[in-house]
Amino acid sequence: MFADLEIVRMAQGLARHAAARQEAVARNVANVNTPGYKQVGLPDFASLHARTVSSGSEASGMRATRAAHLGAGHDYAPPAPRVVADARQAPNGNSVSLEGEIMKAAELRRDHDMALAIYRTATSVLRAGIGRR
Amino acid sequence: MSDLLHTMALSASGMKAQSTRLRHVSENIANVDTPGFRRKLVSFEAAPAGIGRPALVETGRVRFDRSELPLIHDPGNPLADESGNYRGSNVDLVVEIADARQAQRSYEANLKMFDQARQMTSNLLDLLRN
Repeated sequence: MFADLEIVRMAQGLARHAAARQEAVARNVANVNTPGYKQVGLPDFASLHARTVSSGSEASGMRATRAAHLGAGHDYAPPAPRVVADARQAPNGNSVSLEGEIMKAAELRRDHDMALAIYRTATSVLRAGIGRR
Repeated sequence: MSDLLHTMALSASGMKAQSTRLRHVSENIANVDTPGFRRKLVSFEAAPAGIGRPALVETGRVRFDRSELPLIHDPGNPLADESGNYRGSNVDLVVEIADARQAQRSYEANLKMFDQARQMTSNLLDLLRN
């Protein structure tokens, strides 16, 4: 029942997306001194959301229509991290910028907190609806 | 949730790699006056990723700095040859300290990422609590 509510689904999607971004950021930070390492990144949630709800048909990308399908059960599946193409490289071929990564980390932390707050509020509204506080 | 656990494993591997590097730096600094000592270098590389396992970072093979050992003139040294010279070590203290500082900064950044993933996980688990 909870998963059918759009707001709850979106909050779950945002939290999952923030976690996937956190993994990409942690990979970049762990490889900040690895020669030849290319920075990876994920598109932001707004573009993922736009793709999920685009034109109402949700036609772009493959859709899971049965429970046995891979990735069924939740929309807003975060895409796999990709190499950022236009990043500036250090002389050793590494393209990670530590400042940029820290900024992304702060941003996704905020997203994650927001998603959890929305989820909590939605469940408390539901609880109020069934007569409990 | 599994993404966050992967994050912690990644950050921990980064910290381990940086501390290995710092160990080699301190080895170099300790041997700065050892005659004939060659500076040790360690590089990082990505470990191959497995199924359900992120690509961790690890330190590669230890290599020696192949640059020329400096000739030091000191006729009183027991290692000196007929002309009064002996070979010192090719460790440059300034380079080593800069390296140590960079390792420390990277370690701190990894620690910060680890802490953030940990806080996100505990916030997630707090949802179950009420």
